[in-house]
Amino acid sequence: MVNLPTARQTTRETMEDTQTQAATARPAAPTDSTPADAVMRVEGLNVYYGDFLAVKDVTLRFARHEITALIGPSGCGKSTVLRSLNRMNDLIPNARVEGAVFFNDQDIYDPDVDPVEVRRRVGMVFQKPNPFPKSIYENVAWGARINGFKGKRGELDDLVERALRQAALWDEVKDKLHESGYSLSGGQQQRLCIARALAPNPEVLLMDEPASALDPIATLRIEELMLSLKEQYTIIIVTHNMQQAGRVSDRTAFFSVEVDERGQRTGKLVEFDLTDKLFTQPAMKETEDYITGRFG
Amino acid sequence: MAEIRTAFRQELEDMERTLLGVADKAEQMVQKAVEAFTTGDLDRAEEVIAADESIDETYLDIHNRWMNLMARQQPLAGDLRLMSMLLHVNTTLERMGDQTVNIAKLTRATDGLPRVDAIVERLQEMGDLVRAMIRTVIEAVIRRDADEARLLPAMDEPVDRLNRDMYQEVVKVGHDPRRLEWATKAMMVARALERVGDQVVDIGEQLVFLLTGERVEFNEVGLGGMPHSG
Repeated sequence: MVNLPTARQTTRETMEDTQTQAATARPAAPTDSTPADAVMRVEGLNVYYGDFLAVKDVTLRFARHEITALIGPSGCGKSTVLRSLNRMNDLIPNARVEGAVFFNDQDIYDPDVDPVEVRRRVGMVFQKPNPFPKSIYENVAWGARINGFKGKRGELDDLVERALRQAALWDEVKDKLHESGYSLSGGQQQRLCIARALAPNPEVLLMDEPASALDPIATLRIEELMLSLKEQYTIIIVTHNMQQAGRVSDRTAFFSVEVDERGQRTGKLVEFDLTDKLFTQPAMKETEDYITGRFG
Repeated sequence: MAEIRTAFRQELEDMERTLLGVADKAEQMVQKAVEAFTTGDLDRAEEVIAADESIDETYLDIHNRWMNLMARQQPLAGDLRLMSMLLHVNTTLERMGDQTVNIAKLTRATDGLPRVDAIVERLQEMGDLVRAMIRTVIEAVIRRDADEARLLPAMDEPVDRLNRDMYQEVVKVGHDPRRLEWATKAMMVARALERVGDQVVDIGEQLVFLLTGERVEFNEVGLGGMPHSG
């Protein structure tokens, strides 16, 4: 097995309280159309489910410490692309991937790469909050344990606290860590799932519609959290909510659907650019039609 | 509850702070432009023209940021009214800068001509009045004070009067063609200052709209202002 390379030294010690850090400084918005420092790259990606080509020929670069949004109508392949970034598609029978997905220049589909290691380094948060039927503490500790954490109890306590702080949940749960994860509200449960995803110390966080099951205020809190997390992580989010993509992302990839003569629908990447650019002056008419609501 | 949409609010605040900085600069440009024209100081006039270039750059920058924020954040209610005000004020300040450039160019055009003391005094008075108006509107915006903004039409009234009376002053100059040429250009300077005064009143109207949602046209409320021409 090859180890996935790392491009940054983990600085857990400096992550004491991301909420405080976020309030004091935010990185300037990027201005380069093509990100130079890409933590992940997708090249000529085709994903099949059996004979069905779900998405074709996707080439994308995901910039480090930025939020990239994947948007587009249903069936455009955005979630398929997202799941290919940490080999979640491997878990679907008949799913097959062509092309390459690089994580810090290592192709994650190389036969020598362990998919479990990929999923540790590239974490995921799903649409519906899915805490385990365990305590708040155990939900987060699980994230550390699957990472082979064998430290002492006190160290685990610290790790759980750190992850909960990073997920902006600590103040709300610190007095009830041993109550069930289910006792939390929907928005809190989703932040608990984010804490669980952060516990193994990933570099990249994939988020598949992370706020679509939440009310507007809980949604804005998740978005605020994403903006603070990008200082330490790279975030890639699939969202149906274009306004959400506008509010949080540095770059946006717009996907659409192509229908062939047999009526088969295949997703494709139409346009990828800085969100400022894509939302005010998209290069492609198809993008303009979608984001202005003339199509969809 | 933890604060949300902080990046949006920071950007709104930062755009407003930038525009207040431009207003501050506009006040200094009015001072320099009047000083340049009334003393025939060409260097001062060039300083005004150079300063306007940076105002124009800021105008474009604010306009881009405004577009991005609008596209990304869909501001509503008070935020939407603030966005409306920022766009309007951005344009107004850019035009105020242009008026001071007009005065600076009139300084070039009158180089070497004899000045008329009575008119110089009136222009200086107009400049002082307009600058006080700019400082008042900056204060009103910072303090979110609609009452202070409502003082502006009354402050503008003497500016308008001095501008209207300028013609009589020019008539008094007599027939010396060089003095007359300077005086007719001074009339244009007065007109530019009167426009700046109206523009400051306009910013005040925007502030009242921000704070109350009420659309007001200060210049039409019978305080003797010139007809509002945008």
